[in-house]
Amino acid sequence: MGILNYKFEKSNIVITSLDNLLNWARLSSLYQMQFGLACCAIEMMAASASNFDIMRFGVIPRATPRQCDVMIVSGTVTLKMATRIKRLFDQMPEPRYVISMGSCSNCGGPYWEHGYHVLKGVDRVIPVDVYVPGCPPRPEALLEGLIKLQEKVRKESLAKKTA
Amino acid sequence: MTAQEIHDNLKAKFGEAVAEAKLDALQPWIRVAEDLTGEIAEFLRDEPGFEFDYLSCLSGVEFQDGKLGVVYHLNSISKRHSIVLRATCTKEHPHIQSVSQVWGTANWHEREAYDMFGIVFDGHPDLRRILCGDDYPGHPLRKDFKVPEFYNGMKVPY
Amino acid sequence: MLTEFGKILIFFILGGVFVAGGLIVSWLLRPNKPYPAKLSSYECGEEPVGQAWVRFNVRFYVIALIFLIFDVEIVFLFPWALVYRELGLFAFVEMAVFLVILWVGYAYVWVKKDLDWDKPMPKLPTLVRRSAEPVRRTAPAEAL
Repeated sequence: MGILNYKFEKSNIVITSLDNLLNWARLSSLYQMQFGLACCAIEMMAASASNFDIMRFGVIPRATPRQCDVMIVSGTVTLKMATRIKRLFDQMPEPRYVISMGSCSNCGGPYWEHGYHVLKGVDRVIPVDVYVPGCPPRPEALLEGLIKLQEKVRKESLAKKTA
Repeated sequence: MTAQEIHDNLKAKFGEAVAEAKLDALQPWIRVAEDLTGEIAEFLRDEPGFEFDYLSCLSGVEFQDGKLGVVYHLNSISKRHSIVLRATCTKEHPHIQSVSQVWGTANWHEREAYDMFGIVFDGHPDLRRILCGDDYPGHPLRKDFKVPEFYNGMKVPY
Repeated sequence: MLTEFGKILIFFILGGVFVAGGLIVSWLLRPNKPYPAKLSSYECGEEPVGQAWVRFNVRFYVIALIFLIFDVEIVFLFPWALVYRELGLFAFVEMAVFLVILWVGYAYVWVKKDLDWDKPMPKLPTLVRRSAEPVRRTAPAEAL
């Protein structure tokens, strides 16, 4: 635990101002762990390219999990890959988030019935924050998923979490 | 060279190893013995007149009668003819001689056939699973394969 | 009221305060939840194999050492250039002697092949043929 994280009983003006500052800083610079596995990766690349430009939201792809805040799992997750995804998610420092992009990583996608080596949804190995549906989702859909994640980050707080 | 000529020449050279053939199909195929596929492949690649220098596909198959097998699609770029070879083996003794020393592409194709069907290729330099995880139970494309319930702690069925 | 050096001291102190302040505030605010899987070495998702610190080739050390020596020589040239005008020919001869001594060392290093960059030679794979005879080829391929 950080020294000041979740130590305060109730919010006051100092905590909320600090919260606003921290959350704004964190959501404006969500560095992305580039994790394109299959066809959804093409749409993720299209979202990174000039027409849709995910970089204007502050999302810069980094190759190593040590420098990232968000992992966008795009594509079919096989059982062989799932152990690696778990390990890479473990190696990301907090605060970390996961966007599951496309049907295959949401729920197994078109391989839900007969896939013998497909993991039916990446949330069986890592906790997912935002699901982006589509097969593959359009780049605008990925951008909307990113904005939903930003709204989620905006609501975080240093105050203690009450039930 | 037509399929009939290829079949006759092969039978003249290898005799018993070349068994039945269906030469009037859309893609005429010749069945060969599974423990001589390597020699037959090398003969087909090196013999002037045949020169099958291109293996376009090597697929594992499970036939209707429960036998496993491999189907080779050979082409010749210089001579412009093609032929299909079949080799079968039983599930109890799933061994076929490897052709990976003859055509380099067969290396990974045979690894896939091993992964999906369990056919062991004798003489293959590096026979291990290529698509499924290394400790995956069973060979998925066999007709009697059952999807495992759990794999490394993950639930597999939907 | 402050000497010139005093102003530089203030500058240093403020620089230190900025850096330390940033680090301390982020230490107070960041989450810190280490566990063994998080602390393991990164190897693209696989189990780490071998040491994280590898031995590197000595050619890097040799180049860095030689650079250091000649860099110090350049550092000596700077104050000499400042007082050159007052000293005249004496300064020129003196620096020439200094440089010639160092150039002898440079020539030695060059001739002894310590400046050559050894590249590692990759080993290309070969195809193992089943039979000993080479692949027979007929007459050139028929006209396509």
